[in-house]
Amino acid sequence: MATSLLPVSGQALDAQSLVAKIQKLCPAAQLRPDCDRPAVKVPLAHWPVLAQQLFASADLLFDLLETHTAIDWVQTGQIELVYVLTSLQCGHHLTVFVDVARDNPVAPSLCAVWPIAQWQEREVFDLFGVHYTDHPDLRRLFLDDDWQGFPLRKDYADDFMLERPS
Amino acid sequence: MGLVTDNLPGALLPLPGGGALLTAIDQVVNWSRANSLWPLTFGTSCCAIEVMMATGAARHDLARFGAEVARPSPRQADLLIIAGTIVKKMAPRLRTLWEQMAEPRYVIATGSCAISGGPFLYHSYTTIRGADEVIPVDVYVPGCPPRPEALLYGLLTLQKMIREGTTLARPGEVRKPVLAALPDGMTLHQVRAEIAELVQETATVDRAAAATVGASYASASRV
Ligand code: SF4
Repeated sequence: MATSLLPVSGQALDAQSLVAKIQKLCPAAQLRPDCDRPAVKVPLAHWPVLAQQLFASADLLFDLLETHTAIDWVQTGQIELVYVLTSLQCGHHLTVFVDVARDNPVAPSLCAVWPIAQWQEREVFDLFGVHYTDHPDLRRLFLDDDWQGFPLRKDYADDFMLERPS
Repeated sequence: MGLVTDNLPGALLPLPGGGALLTAIDQVVNWSRANSLWPLTFGTSCCAIEVMMATGAARHDLARFGAEVARPSPRQADLLIIAGTIVKKMAPRLRTLWEQMAEPRYVIATGSCAISGGPFLYHSYTTIRGADEVIPVDVYVPGCPPRPEALLYGLLTLQKMIREGTTLARPGEVRKPVLAALPDGMTLHQVRAEIAELVQETATVDRAAAATVGASYASASRV
């Protein structure tokens, strides 16, 4: 079971009851058994509501969005958004996966739930080109403002890149 | 003042009531410059911690060579230590800092990244392939990251170059010790096989020998 370094006030749930609770809140959420931490896959349409519930519901209390990143699956045409959540009050962790279409990657911004998402969503926008609706300031973060393309997409290429000689 | 690595060049003539020093102004100036380098610490990634900060800290103690006065301001520094990866967005800032430094200024590039782009040479959309694409570099200290001793060696090399007046006079000149291509008749495959063999060799631990070494350390620390 996951442990927290911080003083814990709530009750940490084990993986099974955590996933069961989440599936009760959102029946469309599926368990991802291939992860070493509790992880669920959530359809995009259900995600904003579930995020709010994860944050607010008394026995889950996911108060920290630890990191947000993405995976580009070129073959299946999906960009998989990854949210790593922690509850500092209870000491449990959860990873949430959400698929968006690669050719129209639009997702709702979670700034209203976790304010830190502003920065993390800017980074994912910068490198993967995912557009977040209702984000207050969706600009490039690491790359120059006039950069063309999204370099962490698997099919990204530009003239600057060097091929490895074989 | 730290360790002065050689004497003031010139001849001391003992005279009644004192003495006279015969020397050349250039030599005195270069001698003092070499022994009081003030580094501008330009650390952008792992090398900054592994080499630059470790060299400045107590164990390796850069102060022994008169170069401990690290300045975050380019106006007060005359040695730019580049420690880390330079990316496209950082390159103009590096150039600005270098331009703001007063002459004479010297540059040491530490680590593969600052020398050639290092591990990010291929398939990188943003890593500059060597700091010398942006500013002239006097001394290259190879490694990923280099040992702090290597930076000390680089510093001593720079001091020697300053004393001899052989630092880079013309900006833009590149004296790159890294070969961009493999030597004739050598393939990447051979290089990899050789490295694998060396790693295999050094990673094999002779347990019996290690035990005796450990025991001797233990007894030494008890003394
Ligand atoms: S040379 Fe190696 S240690 Fe130094 S900055 Fe580059 S990756 Fe890091």
